Amino acid sequence: MKIFFQLLHKIIRTGVGRTRFVMAVLGLAIATLLMLVAVQTWADFEQLLYNQRNTSDSADFLVINKKVTHTNSADNQHMFSPAELADLQSQPFVKSAGNITSSQYKVAVAAPGNLQFTSEMFFEAVPDSFIDVQDGDWHWQAGNRLVPIILSNDFLNLYNYGFALSQGLPQLSPESVKVIPMQITISNGAHSEQFIGKVVGFSDRIASFLVPQPFMQWANANYGSGQPAATSRVIVKVTDPSNPALVKYLNDHDYTTNQDKLRHSRTKQVVQIIVSVIGFFGLVLLFFAMLVFSMFIQLIVASCRQEIALLVILGAAPGQLRRFLLRQFSPLYLITGVGALLLAAGLQYWTSKALQGHDFYVSPWVSVYTVLSALLIMAAVYVVNVRSIRKYVALYS
Amino acid sequence: MTIQLDHLIPVPLRDKVLQQASGVWNQALTWQAGQFVKINAPSGTGKTTLMHYLYNIRYDYTGSISLDGRPWPTFSKNEVAGLRQQQLSVIFQDLRLFDQLTAWENINLKRSMSGDQPFCSEERVQEMAGALQVSHILHQSAKTLSYGERQRIAIIRALVQPFVWLFMDEPFSHLDEVNTARAAQLITEECRHRQAGFVLTDLDTDQHFDYHVHHHL
Repeated sequence: MKIFFQLLHKIIRTGVGRTRFVMAVLGLAIATLLMLVAVQTWADFEQLLYNQRNTSDSADFLVINKKVTHTNSADNQHMFSPAELADLQSQPFVKSAGNITSSQYKVAVAAPGNLQFTSEMFFEAVPDSFIDVQDGDWHWQAGNRLVPIILSNDFLNLYNYGFALSQGLPQLSPESVKVIPMQITISNGAHSEQFIGKVVGFSDRIASFLVPQPFMQWANANYGSGQPAATSRVIVKVTDPSNPALVKYLNDHDYTTNQDKLRHSRTKQVVQIIVSVIGFFGLVLLFFAMLVFSMFIQLIVASCRQEIALLVILGAAPGQLRRFLLRQFSPLYLITGVGALLLAAGLQYWTSKALQGHDFYVSPWVSVYTVLSALLIMAAVYVVNVRSIRKYVALYS
Repeated sequence: MTIQLDHLIPVPLRDKVLQQASGVWNQALTWQAGQFVKINAPSGTGKTTLMHYLYNIRYDYTGSISLDGRPWPTFSKNEVAGLRQQQLSVIFQDLRLFDQLTAWENINLKRSMSGDQPFCSEERVQEMAGALQVSHILHQSAKTLSYGERQRIAIIRALVQPFVWLFMDEPFSHLDEVNTARAAQLITEECRHRQAGFVLTDLDTDQHFDYHVHHHL
């Protein structure tokens, strides 16, 4: 076929509309590059996010409660109903959820000896698997006078740096708090009972006063209202706190949580929007580039329709002509695709080096998805070309 | 390969054909493989039309043309291309060379169409060009050639491929007697070599070939 194709080259003048062709190739190159950059940016961001996140796994836990508003502050509307809890647990981004149970009885705490500290307070309890404090004393069974308590780190900080300093009280280290036995009185107005409270740890995860669940169940049964304890807060373990679907779910249901932990989600949303916009323009441009390509093929075939007709009369098979035309164009978009990929690889290398200066680590190589996208784009252009060549050659043969 | 014509009537010439008696139109004819068929036809009787029907580049007829019992419309585009590369060759009245190619390239286009191992060697092409006295113009652009020269190039082009039937539409119209005789001799040689037949249309009777069959259009 070599000699035949060489002769065809003199008959079918592919030089017609050269500028149009250059424009189409240029458009294709830019479109490919835009799409590759979009995919690569997305891959880089995922990489950054997950590398960072691996260093602190407390970000996996979120305490969720309903927003307190003017309308729901009065009655029990800020409690979670069983249906709402079930719905929350069934969300794909929730790995597991634990209800936080509040005390239905009065609690009074007094410091021993001459510390002269006494206060009304409350308890809450969560399933043990959601607690970030490991301590051998964290258990309770009926009859025990000693009740282990987990305090929030935030509470200790508030006391030490806010309350103690301004009131002239001594500051307490976590170790000293742990050795102070506290007198705890729980009551329901009619009866009361005394316990000794011992702080066994400080939690970063849950801002509350936690007691073991068995104690909470026993106390609610004996000193509570008798109604099943409603849930006001839920602790959930999530696979990815920056998942925009999680944020949307919380907003849609008027739930709130520690906003700081959702910070990544905002960034991720912004990056997603930017990536989508770049990708969208890339896609539009690719569409037009392919359109110009197929119009260019139409132009060439139409301008040679007499020659093509005579070639077919002399015995050239339409398949031979299609193969010839395809061979004229396919190297060009192969080069375009590989060129765009190389350029994207160069950009990625440069980005990686630049980010390293800011202590961000991303791979200096383009992602697998980027290479796959490049292959996909080339395949799409190939298919469009094959189709338009088939269509226009059939028209004149 | 046998060619059968069954009540072939060109649609544009229908009334005329039905009024006059014709040896081809509206007849049942069979041409056997290897036969030399001559069709005499005065101007305007549809000589070129018949050739185009036989070579399947015009389809405005009623009746049928069959190759080995298979009517033309049943062949696919690829099968038609295969036939034109391996079994059927043609010399058009209007020659149909590519102006943008040289005479040699026009011949070579047909030679290389079915692959890079041509049926006819380059030496044989040179011999044929020598026989028809066109060796000196082979590398000129077809555009610059005279009608007589073009006609001889078209004849060589038709002879460089394998075929079992050769269709010729007034193939010697621009040639003098000496060149006509040389061309006729070359065509006879090539047909005998391939055991191929031909269908030739012309205005008058002639003695260029030993025809097996005569028809009047």
